[in-house]
Amino acid sequence: MDQSAALDAAPVASAPASLAGGPPGGAARARSGPVGFFLAVLRARPMFAVGYIIVLLMIFAALLAPWLAPYNPVTAAPDDYLQPPNALHWLGTDATGMDILSRILYAPRVDLTIAILGTLISSAIGAPLGAIVGYYEGRSAWRRALSVLVMRAADVLQAFPVFVFAIALVAVFGQSLASIIAAIAFVNIPIYLRLMRSQVLSIRGMRYVEAAFVAGASDVAILRRHIIPNAIAPALAQLSVSVGWSVLLTSGLSFVGAGVVAPTPEWGSMIATGFQNVTTGQWWPSVFPGIALGIAVFGFALVGSSIEVLADPAQRRLVGVKHAAG
Amino acid sequence: MGLVRYIGRRLLFVAPQLLGIIMVSFFLVKLIPGDPAVLMMGPNASQQALDELREKLGLTLPLPQQFLHYIVNVVHGDLGTSWQTTRPVLDDLMDRFPATLELVTLALLVALLIGIPLGIVAAGRSRGPIRKLADVYGLLAGAIPDFWLALVFIYIFYSTLHIAPAPLGRLDLEVVAPPIVTGSMLLDSLIAGDFDALWSSASHLMLPVMTLGLVNAGPILKMTQSTVERTLSSDFIRYAEMCGLPKRTVMRQAVRASLPSIITIVSVLYGFLIGGAVLVEIVFSWGGAGQYAVQGVLNADLNPVLGFVLFSAVFSLVVYLFVDLLYFVLDPRTRG
Repeated sequence: MDQSAALDAAPVASAPASLAGGPPGGAARARSGPVGFFLAVLRARPMFAVGYIIVLLMIFAALLAPWLAPYNPVTAAPDDYLQPPNALHWLGTDATGMDILSRILYAPRVDLTIAILGTLISSAIGAPLGAIVGYYEGRSAWRRALSVLVMRAADVLQAFPVFVFAIALVAVFGQSLASIIAAIAFVNIPIYLRLMRSQVLSIRGMRYVEAAFVAGASDVAILRRHIIPNAIAPALAQLSVSVGWSVLLTSGLSFVGAGVVAPTPEWGSMIATGFQNVTTGQWWPSVFPGIALGIAVFGFALVGSSIEVLADPAQRRLVGVKHAAG
Repeated sequence: MGLVRYIGRRLLFVAPQLLGIIMVSFFLVKLIPGDPAVLMMGPNASQQALDELREKLGLTLPLPQQFLHYIVNVVHGDLGTSWQTTRPVLDDLMDRFPATLELVTLALLVALLIGIPLGIVAAGRSRGPIRKLADVYGLLAGAIPDFWLALVFIYIFYSTLHIAPAPLGRLDLEVVAPPIVTGSMLLDSLIAGDFDALWSSASHLMLPVMTLGLVNAGPILKMTQSTVERTLSSDFIRYAEMCGLPKRTVMRQAVRASLPSIITIVSVLYGFLIGGAVLVEIVFSWGGAGQYAVQGVLNADLNPVLGFVLFSAVFSLVVYLFVDLLYFVLDPRTRG
């Protein structure tokens, strides 16, 4: 009955941050500064603290691996092959006798580098492009043509089977770190493009955007000051999914032999080398790296959600109110 | 009327899009190092034999001409021959694509059944056990590698508990496959009335579908939850609440307004899974299309890769077209 009217106002952020003149919790924020606000968010959502701890530990492991790891991660000890977890090898050894704990500790060096760089590159390209496309869609002739062109190009890109595409890219550029990063960045771009576009499409018709337009603000200013801050939260939340997804994609590439090459410690390739042992009952060479990988991605996802809260004006206000009250 | 024009406009783009996809993948695949002639004949082949084979395969022609030949052949339904299986790629894909499609479709259904209800319920409340469960599930599902989960399931249900069948394909070895009608083992065995095959295929589907379904429910849950949450705090919902509409009605409106975002993530997932299920396919020796293509890339067998890309591209385009139509129906703003 009143559904079309309802849909007009459909999935949009509540009140515009740009007109609210700062969160009601602003007094509390001014008193304790950004650090205090950050701590308040952590207190309101203790899980976020877990995320930050995990990520810090991962970075810690990546930096200090040579001092933390009990064994050399790439030295095979054929006599000690497939030992279950014991006092000498806390997490056991794999089929070539390499210490699993040491390899797990070294792995973030490769995995985090690939995932973070790949995600950053793809979002830096995809999100602004999506905002522009969404803003110009259905406007004057050449801008409409531009946005149609970009969206159809995105369709072409997304029509590719991601995994095969990534393998093919790595195969073309040669099996190196740079080509894995490039492949991951490339296949992630359309996601940011689409997310940002759909957000901007629903925000650009809001009253405050019209007000800014009437006030004579330029397109760039409207996008930068009014639209992007209100539209960016889902894209930032996607960063969390993407970093995890990129680590998974990297490990998947390694799993089929198109990613990080074997003796280099990397979680995915460790799972792959333990694959054959699982069916015969030796679970530890595959299971432990998988858990480490899962924890790492979990941590990044939590940090991502905390960024979503910190970046979304509406949610920030909610936490700010609690902060001011308690 | 508007709808017909909308579809027509949309279809106009499909042909150039397909051409773009074939072109990009053709040149990409051509860039992959490795000489098919050498791989086919083995390292001991004489130079003359190699030259003859290259001539026969058309590898001596300039690239644009090779591309033209390929396009002409594709239009005639000829996707070339795979030198690994020595069969026409079209036949190979016709055998394998339904296997992937059945797996992926069932997995996506499982993911929808978990993700959407949990997301909607969790969006309605800001604390409590269901909300916690949804939050943790969303994060965990995004964090767990599907091929690792598949291995864990195999270890638990096959190696330890002996409930699941060995991870070797779609049917038990002693079960005869039902005659192919739809390509889906489940449906075909139902049509044939073959309950042994039905049971066998269902039990083989169980673990991979569970793996992919559980993992892919994560993004659906997250998207549902965050969109519905956003909608619930929007003005029109506040207005509806203020008017004293029953909670159920308000919720139904919020969910309806959130549908476009949910459909987007589902369509992206569907297209992604056609190729993205390949790791789970490999773990379960599923013999699907993705597995076929990955072997193609790793062995410089070009035609299967191109054929697979083409197949899944067409599939994705159909899904996106369908999604655009759904937007058209759901969101009046796109009709303008």
